[in-house]
Amino acid sequence: MKPELPPNVVCLPRTNQLEALLTIIRDKDTNRGDFIFYSNRIIRLLVEEGLNHLPVVEKTVTTPTNTEFEGVSFKGKICGVSIMRAGESMEQGLRDCCRSVRIGKILIQRDEETALPKLYYSKLPPDIDDRYVLLLDPMLATGGSAIKAIEVLLAHEVKEDKILFLNLVASPEGIEAVTKKYSQLKIVTASIDKGLNDKKYIIPGLGDFGDRYFTLP
Amino acid sequence: MSKNNVFLRGEGRSPWYRLDGSKFDCYLVGVAGGSASGKTSVAVRIIENLNVPWVVLLSMDSFYNVLSPEKKIDAQNNNFNFDHPDAFDFNLLLDTLKNLKEGKRVEVPIYDFVTHSRLPQKNTLYGANVVIFEGILALYDQRIIDLMDLKVFVDTDSDIRLIRRLKRDISERGRDLNGVIQQYENFVKPAFDQYIQPTVKNADVIVPRGLDNLVAIDLITKHIQRQLHERQFNFRWDLVKIDCNGKEIPENVIVLDQTPQLKGIHTIIRDRNTQRDDFIFYSERLAAIVVERALSELMFIEHEIITPLDIPYLGKKCIEQICGVSILRAGSTMETGLRRVVKDTLIGKILIQSHPKTGEPSLHFINLPNNICECYVLLMDAQIATGAAALMAIRVLLDHDVPEAKIIFLTFLATPLGLHVISKAFPKVKICTSMIDPKINDETLFIEPGMGNFGDRYYGTS
Repeated sequence: MKPELPPNVVCLPRTNQLEALLTIIRDKDTNRGDFIFYSNRIIRLLVEEGLNHLPVVEKTVTTPTNTEFEGVSFKGKICGVSIMRAGESMEQGLRDCCRSVRIGKILIQRDEETALPKLYYSKLPPDIDDRYVLLLDPMLATGGSAIKAIEVLLAHEVKEDKILFLNLVASPEGIEAVTKKYSQLKIVTASIDKGLNDKKYIIPGLGDFGDRYFTLP
Repeated sequence: MSKNNVFLRGEGRSPWYRLDGSKFDCYLVGVAGGSASGKTSVAVRIIENLNVPWVVLLSMDSFYNVLSPEKKIDAQNNNFNFDHPDAFDFNLLLDTLKNLKEGKRVEVPIYDFVTHSRLPQKNTLYGANVVIFEGILALYDQRIIDLMDLKVFVDTDSDIRLIRRLKRDISERGRDLNGVIQQYENFVKPAFDQYIQPTVKNADVIVPRGLDNLVAIDLITKHIQRQLHERQFNFRWDLVKIDCNGKEIPENVIVLDQTPQLKGIHTIIRDRNTQRDDFIFYSERLAAIVVERALSELMFIEHEIITPLDIPYLGKKCIEQICGVSILRAGSTMETGLRRVVKDTLIGKILIQSHPKTGEPSLHFINLPNNICECYVLLMDAQIATGAAALMAIRVLLDHDVPEAKIIFLTFLATPLGLHVISKAFPKVKICTSMIDPKINDETLFIEPGMGNFGDRYYGTS
């Protein structure tokens, strides 16, 4: 089950703790309150891991005891971009770590005629070409909408190696599709599942993330 | 109230354990004597004269047996012998005193003299340095006598005891003269002669005339004070002298991965020019990281579920009930982080402050959930410097029957010294820290480079 990961893919360390969190959100009997709560916890872990791939510079400060501490400071501006609708569930987790972070949105829907993902709407910070971008989408299934969203970012002159794609559950197929096309960006995920079923759902997966987070009773 | 806005009522409890974590037993004094001999008054006077905190008075009256319905009727007709040894639950008494002596938390029954049964609620006793146990048959059971450090028999003339008893029962308890005399002749006097009086031979000190005997009470008090003084010990300053240069960090310590974000957060928190707004935000972010890491150490079992796609999935599930315990004040800054991930966590509090004169930690207040012995405890404090406060807090948890292996100590910053001190005393306690700083200033006891007074910076009280 553990194929070699491309070098630009990072999977969170599989601790008991993370495994227990994933078990809760995968369980079809988990109610929406718990689904949201425990998804948020994993998202927070993902964001913390994602931020670790941003550059820092050395910085020395003086502590209240009047001694020096050799630390680092964060370098470069960041912004979040969520792929609507499910990606928006990850915004709070990002804000919990980066308070007033700018957030862009991209709406991609499947075109009923061609069955291909189609861009419906995007609104991004004007200086996005100057920023590191944390692209947010909880599920990476076929990679179709992710690739479309990355195309949008690149069209706005975001540098590919400044894109961090965060997701909770990914399929090997999706990872392959994205990394084959883009070798410079980084994917950070909490779990790589077995694969896709014939309806292109991730298995074992967790169902439709957006529905379970936003609309299912 | 002092200039820097700190108010502390009373003296805290000084360490009651040695540096290796082992405990001094509490000092147990037994006070026996006939009914109305003045045992309680003598005990109370000793406590007043001792003038030390954390002294507990325990009465044998709490340990009367629960009466059967027939015996209850006897009791109502003055026909039950409350002065006979069979009236008491000596086994429960022995257990309670043993646990108290070992410094454990105990539940003392409350006896209801109207229904002659125990009330559903109980009194909780914890943290006594001295226990004074009084009762007519306090020196009767050899197993109990063996626990005592000092045995006192209050020997008051029997005429005086009878007069007191008449006064007390008639005017205070509304009983009639004949009933009281009947009970005295049938039970109180024979029981005294047969069971109570003979226990005088078990006493170390006999106090004639009860409360009037100031000299005897003074001697007893001085003796106890001397004994307590010998047990007192100070170690915070000695701790600083322990050399742990070149020693490996103990195995039970988990240090977070020193990632760029972690270093960046630390840099902000440590910078003395950081605004409080940022200080609070980043320390809460750090707390969340520390808590998540610590929770990975809990017990998990395999757990199978079905996903919404109707596929079975073998995952994991945590089986521990989690209780956070913050060492006040700075430890409670981690509560937000804990609640964020364990939404229904139980939270206990322990207030430990440094003694203004000696710098020793002293215990002022404890409030813990009743079922804490069944929980996995996340003990929280912002920093571990000498480890003195941590030792005290861990000792408190152990006294409440939390297993050592079910304690994990969460902190933002620790010194090698503090980590060695804790793991030497309590090797099974895990410690999860976000960073380790090399040293402690041996004058201020602050960690260097450190982060200053964490509580003051977080709460804005400096």
